[in-house]
Amino acid sequence: MVSRVTRNVAISRLWWVLCISSLVGALLVLLSLFGFVFVRGVAAIRPEIFFTVTQGIAGGLANAIVGTLLLVTLAIVLVVPVGIGAAVWVTQFAPDRLRIVVRLSIDVLFGVPSIVVGYFLYVALVETAGWGFSLVAGSLALAIIMLPYVYRAADLAFSAVPRDLVEASVALGARPLTTFVRVAFPWALPGTLTGLLIGVGIAVGETAPLIYTAGWSNYMPTLAPTHSPVGYLTYVVWTFINEPFKQSHQLAYAAAFLLMIAIFVTNFVARAGVEYWASRTRSHS
Amino acid sequence: MRKFTAVALAAVFALGSLAAARAATPILETGSSLLYPLMNLWVASYQAKNHTVQITTQSTGSGTGISQAIAGVAQIGASDAYMGDPQMRGHRMLNIPLAISAQQINYNIPGLNNVHLHLSGPVLAGIYMGRIKYWNDPQIKALNRPYAGRLPHRTIIPIHRTDGSGDTFIFSQYLSFTTPMWSHGPGYGTSISWPSVSTAVGANGNPGMVQACKATPYSIAYIGVSFINETNKAGLGYGLLKNRAGRFVAPTASTIGSAAAAMYPKTPRDERISLVFAPGANSYPIINYEYAIVNPHQKNAETREALVKFLSWVLDHNGGQEMHFLNAVHFLPLPASIAKLSREQVAQIH
Amino acid sequence: MLAGVLTSVAAGICLLLVVLMLVFLLWYTWPAIRYNGLSILNDMTWNIGNQYGTGSSVHNGVAAEPGAEFGGLVFLVGTLLSALLAMVFAVPLALGVALTIVYRLPERLRLPVNALIELMAGIPSVVYGLWGTIVLVPWVGNRVAPFVTHHFGFIPFLGGDAGSGNGLFAAAIVLAIMVMPIMVATVRDVLLAQPKSIFEASMALGSTSWQAVTHAVLPSVRTGIVGAILVAFGRALGETMAVLMVAGNAINILPHNIFSPINTIAAVVVSQLESAVSDASGVAQRSLAELALVLFVISLTVNTVARVAIRGQDRSH
Repeated sequence: MVSRVTRNVAISRLWWVLCISSLVGALLVLLSLFGFVFVRGVAAIRPEIFFTVTQGIAGGLANAIVGTLLLVTLAIVLVVPVGIGAAVWVTQFAPDRLRIVVRLSIDVLFGVPSIVVGYFLYVALVETAGWGFSLVAGSLALAIIMLPYVYRAADLAFSAVPRDLVEASVALGARPLTTFVRVAFPWALPGTLTGLLIGVGIAVGETAPLIYTAGWSNYMPTLAPTHSPVGYLTYVVWTFINEPFKQSHQLAYAAAFLLMIAIFVTNFVARAGVEYWASRTRSHS
Repeated sequence: MRKFTAVALAAVFALGSLAAARAATPILETGSSLLYPLMNLWVASYQAKNHTVQITTQSTGSGTGISQAIAGVAQIGASDAYMGDPQMRGHRMLNIPLAISAQQINYNIPGLNNVHLHLSGPVLAGIYMGRIKYWNDPQIKALNRPYAGRLPHRTIIPIHRTDGSGDTFIFSQYLSFTTPMWSHGPGYGTSISWPSVSTAVGANGNPGMVQACKATPYSIAYIGVSFINETNKAGLGYGLLKNRAGRFVAPTASTIGSAAAAMYPKTPRDERISLVFAPGANSYPIINYEYAIVNPHQKNAETREALVKFLSWVLDHNGGQEMHFLNAVHFLPLPASIAKLSREQVAQIH
Repeated sequence: MLAGVLTSVAAGICLLLVVLMLVFLLWYTWPAIRYNGLSILNDMTWNIGNQYGTGSSVHNGVAAEPGAEFGGLVFLVGTLLSALLAMVFAVPLALGVALTIVYRLPERLRLPVNALIELMAGIPSVVYGLWGTIVLVPWVGNRVAPFVTHHFGFIPFLGGDAGSGNGLFAAAIVLAIMVMPIMVATVRDVLLAQPKSIFEASMALGSTSWQAVTHAVLPSVRTGIVGAILVAFGRALGETMAVLMVAGNAINILPHNIFSPINTIAAVVVSQLESAVSDASGVAQRSLAELALVLFVISLTVNTVARVAIRGQDRSH
């Protein structure tokens, strides 16, 4: 009897050791990845990288950095009104049946592999509409990829606005729009912003849908919406590592490093947002 | 947060508009990774004197070069292959030779990379069809008697291009012209249907081929001659190829020149011709024209002007055809007769 | 009411986008669907046809270049195998990590560990691909594959050529690492949503903590875990860049062991699009779009099942 209990305890311990080692293993992989990117990245970063453009397989990354910023910024501009607007409509105005349809379409968007989005825009805009590789085509691709993340975060955030708060506002005689702007919107803002930042993180790191929409350029991007290809950081990582030149490898590592930093920052801000939101929710209840 | 976003936005647009303010005519050159190193030398030198044009160069593969030039996305599609008749029927494009190039067959056999193995079309076809599986296969031994004992019993890993590629085009032409079984099977093209070989690996562009061959012991690859410095640095061996006269020759200026000289008189006005497996005792069998695929009809006047000016400079013996450009990548310049045909084609751009 | 109208337009755009994408893909691929018939699913040969020949190859009234054949079997098998193998690696790991976080980690370590796991989910695909190319592939090619094929070659699918390191195994490892954080986060949330009393009651009845987990907690969250696995599986199916960089770009051949080069639908769309565009008949490009459509349908199915499973779990308590 005693031996069986001891055996069970031993088995339990063994399994937990396995579980804990899987966590340690995962963290080690992460460490290998971070170590790899940071060690090689830091060694490859030179100040000129930020001020010179790519020349063939050497030079700097200024065009790619500005290009990534431009593409993502325009994508945010495109996705915010659509994603958040749709979520507001679904949570505040929509009849039940249509609510389900919109949510379903967002679920579908979640399932679309990013390369399919890129291919769709390539055929439709770059070729058929004759826009060529361009800022708008690239940003649209990113916006479509960000859309489900932004929408779902906003949907959750607006759904979580406490009913009693809204009802109290209405009972005090506030018009629906005032209630929305003064009560629901501030309440849902942090959650929505967090979702947006997650989307931004994903957009910054996308490659496949940009190859055939934004193209690539060695020069500083212009603000021309069409007919002017745009460079971006992920392209450098994916193509320059395949070149047999040391300078191009350096640029690939530097670009990977900058991407990681960008992801760190958006992740950190997003997490801080979640914490802030959670603390506010707690103080309300 | 909002303030930060505003500042970031302002900065981005300030930078963007800065760039827009000095906007010059953009020209996109994309395609052949074999031509890419030379294109970079040309563009850097040309841009130093011409500020009204911005030429972006991209190493994507000849297939991309051809298709993006057709789609009007790129102004110059760089290609090691001329366009086929079916393609020309759909889209009348100019195929303008800019230089003469060649291809080496590289391998990574630890211990044997300083040796130049003798290779023939049928043996290479056998390797890429999976019929010759090991480096010590009797057929390879038969061509390399002095090293027969040193050839290892190791599986050959044939590396091919995954992107549409002019190097695939000229390599598969060499196999097709020398090996009936290949010409009836995969045939030739910028992307062909590779036979099933269990160890075969795909790589992207000439740079990817160098990387893959270097990283993979016992592999074999076909790589453009403009990457000779890189293949040497990577410590890869290169083979001597059997030519039409039955001799085994290395890719040198003299053997490439000999093969090219045999083909100049046969070049038609539209310059679409294969230079592969040329006659001549001293001729290297895998050489080709490096083409600029250009749409003769350019809607935008500024683009047309900039394009014609750049191409004319490239074809000028005091411009892009100067030896120091071509020597750097082991290419040969066009002879006067072919440069003239090319200039006539440039004149057709309207 | 202006707000209602404006926001309904936004919702309409979401809807329209999805419908447009589906209709467009269907319309665009229609000639390819007719040309290929079922061979897009069960034929092994991908051949855009002879671009330098004469004549043409005609199926169901659609003409392509001579010899053109668009079989997607190799890519379909590669997609499914790499994602399945990734699950074999990732599922036990993710369960272990999630259980550790919920039941074993001291409170003050939870926040940083959660933050790290989330960070892992946000790392760009190309960065995983870079690490895979430079660190993982040489390790697999020089160490793992020769060792395994030599010592365990008698087990089916483990013997034969060790290959170059690029292949199914490397792709599955990279995929496993990429989808693990998503799975961990979902399983963790499912576990945390369970009433603590289930675990405590089982402990009070004298079971060990592991028995409490396996006998009491896990059975009650089964559907949630299946949902989490399916979400991760869906992601693995559609992953592009990292797989493209390490999978070996196989063509016209099925993998014969775990280290063989493979190709996936997502990867082949990126790597073959430009070759396909050079097909004068246009069928190659449309066939590639048809492959993308196949991938679309597969991920859609997997994601829908996953969402149903997760919602079922949410409703059950």
